[in-house]
This record gives sequence, structure tokens and C-alpha cells, in this order.
Amino acid sequence: MSLKYGVLGLLKEQPLHGYEVKNRFEAMLGGTWDVNIGQIYTTLQRLERDGLVRPVGHRGDRGKLLYELSPEGQEALDEWLATPDSGPQQLHEEIYVKLLLATRIANGDLKGMLARQKRAYLQRLRDLNRLEEGARRDGRIDLARLVRGALLHTEADLKWMDELSSERFGTEGAKTE
Amino acid sequence: MDGRIVIRAFRDGGGENRMSELVRVTDVTKVYQGGITGALNGVSVSIEQGEFTAIMGPSGSGKSTLLNLVAGVDRPTSGTVVVGGTDLGKLGETGLARFRRDHIGFVFQFFYLLPNLTALENVLIPAQLKGNSPNGRARELMERLGIADVGNRYPARLSGGQQQRVAIARALINQPTLLLADEPTGALDTRSGEQVMELLGELHRDGQTVLLVTHDAKLATRHAARVISVMDGTIVDDARLESPERAAAEVIRVRGEEAAR
Repeated sequence: MSLKYGVLGLLKEQPLHGYEVKNRFEAMLGGTWDVNIGQIYTTLQRLERDGLVRPVGHRGDRGKLLYELSPEGQEALDEWLATPDSGPQQLHEEIYVKLLLATRIANGDLKGMLARQKRAYLQRLRDLNRLEEGARRDGRIDLARLVRGALLHTEADLKWMDELSSERFGTEGAKTE
Repeated sequence: MDGRIVIRAFRDGGGENRMSELVRVTDVTKVYQGGITGALNGVSVSIEQGEFTAIMGPSGSGKSTLLNLVAGVDRPTSGTVVVGGTDLGKLGETGLARFRRDHIGFVFQFFYLLPNLTALENVLIPAQLKGNSPNGRARELMERLGIADVGNRYPARLSGGQQQRVAIARALINQPTLLLADEPTGALDTRSGEQVMELLGELHRDGQTVLLVTHDAKLATRHAARVISVMDGTIVDDARLESPERAAAEVIRVRGEEAAR
């Protein structure tokens, strides 16, 4: 979803070729999201099909085709920007499943698992701190804000580990239904 | 007499070998009458010279107690605390006071500045206890900490961040072997807290050994490469963190839902 709107947003600044879209998108995300050129072309074609972007000038060498935002595209972009993120929270990491499984299998002895995970989060905090520092040094305040969000998330993960560590896990923790 | 022994021990140990052991806590137990809050139960840990170490743990876990034992502010119920080769348990009260004055810089959450003294006078207190009045060094320190222009103000007329900087300058005036900080950002807003931690980080880069007690893992990991976790009076983890150069994608992956239809 956000790749589609990311492309629309970049085209709002100025008409771009597929490769320029790819490069600008990756630069905007500071290397935290790699897209391949195929994805960009597929996205541009779908956007063109839906009338949200249109080619500028003549269709020649496809790689050189410039795209611009259509009024409909502008409208779709504005609407997307004005809509808050909602819906279910995305928990992508495996720790969530590990925790549930370990509660059943390890008979409530999660200490080692929690300690290892906590260490990993501490290391991640350190890495994120360095990334934030680098972003600020490079004058990328927008990127530093993104990293700040990640820092706060990881801090919450760490607090979660602490909370779990101080719990007494008994067999009642894992209801097998 | 006690003091001389301490000083010689530091001269022998300090300087030439950067990564020599500075603090050794062995099997320390601290029992408080009437409760278990802050008690320690068989803690052993060693701190190298030049390290920036963070001690983390919930309230009442014993992390501040550990700091106070290393500072010579408190004595263990059993076990030994050796700092710079000197067994603090062998020092009498006078020797311990001298040890603190000469080798420990302590920064607290609530600053503890004397309200009827100016910022500069506060900074000078520990030096005056030694019979010195190093105005030049005090001004130099205050310059470095960004409080040179408020030297003549009283604490009540300083912001929290400024008061903590004055407290840091005071902690550094006698060039302590060990800088201890107990929740130094706890009473500050986010920005002042970051600046205070940045200062501690700078001091560490200049070779200062720093031992920090904090709740804030974000700030702790920015500067400390070692994080000791204390819970219920014992050390439950001692993590040494790496600081390699990592590409952004190795640290963060942003992804939205793919597959635009």
C-alpha cells in the first residue's frame, strides 16, 4: 500500500522515470526499504491503469517514460495522507510465537529465552542510537524521526521482557484450547 | 593514613594500562533492617578503567545500593568492595570520607546543590574540602559544560538542566577516578536529559570511567557499551554491546502492505 502512495507522493514533486522513482523512494527511506525496479514498473502500470498517473510525452523506450500525477491521483494521495493508520496492530517478529510455544513446551521456564531476547533488544537499541546519530549528522531529520519511533518501540519491547521476567509462569499460563 | 594508601594504589594502577580493573565487588550482600527493598544478595562484578557501564533494574532492585557501596557511601553487610586496589572495608570513617572526596564524583537525580551558594561556589565545594580553590579549573569545567555564564547565579535561578550541569562540574572538580551517576536524567525533560547524557558520553570518550544507574534504556545504550541488569538484589544479566557500523537496512526494515491491486 505505502509503495503505491509513496510513488504518487514522489510524482507530486515532479514527473519522474521509473528508475528515478526507485532511487528517490529508497533515498527517502534512508535504505530501510529496498524495492526492485520490477515492483516500481508494476506499480506505475497499475496506477496508470487506475488513472492515478499518466505518461508525459510519447511512449518510447519504456525505461525512459516519464510519469506525472493526474488530478485523480492527487485526490487519492490527499485522502491517503489524511487517513490515520488503523486496523490491527502488525506484530511481525517471531518472539510473539516463540513466547506462546515456549509457555506450553518449556513448562513455564522462560527465563533463558527472555534474557536472550532482552539482550538482543539492548543491542538493537544501541544500533538504533547510532543510526539516529548518523541521520542527524547527515541532516536527515525526517529519517532521525523514523529511527526515534523505532527506538521507542524497542524500549517498549524491552519493558515487556522485564515485565515477563518478573512474572511467575505456571502451567495455568498455557491454556491448551 | 588511609588516604595515602588509596592514592598510591591509584597511581600504580592508573594511566598506563587503560583496561585495568578499577572496581571489584565480590560476593556482596546488603541487608536492610525492616525490609528487603534495595537489598543485595551475593553480588559480584568487576568494572574496567575507562568503561561506561549502565546499571538497570526496577525500583527497589538494589541498583542504587550497588552504586552507593562502590562510592563508599554505604558499607556491605558482607563481601568486599575494592576500588583502585583499595579494600573499602579496611578504611575507617575518615579514610572512607577521604576516599570519596579524592576519587569519587557523584551525580544525583535531584542535583543536591546548596541553595545559599552560587553555581561557582557549589562547584568549588569538594576542592575546598581538600584546601584548594581551583577557580581556573572550575571556570574551565563550567565553560565546557555550557554553564560559564551562570556562575554567579543561585541554584533557584537555574533550570533543571543547568543545575545538573553544575552538579556534574562539582563531581568533576577533584578529577575523580570514578564518576557515578544515579538517575541523572530522572528529574529532567527529554531534551535536557539528552544533553546531560551527551556530556557524560563526552567525558567517557576523554577517558572518564562512568557508572550510571538509569531507567532509560534508550539513553543508556546510546553511551554505555555495557548494561548490567539487577533484579531482586542479584545481577541477572551483564550484556556487553557491540558498536559496529551497520547499514540502515540491517537495523530497521520499513514495510507497508505490499501487493497493490
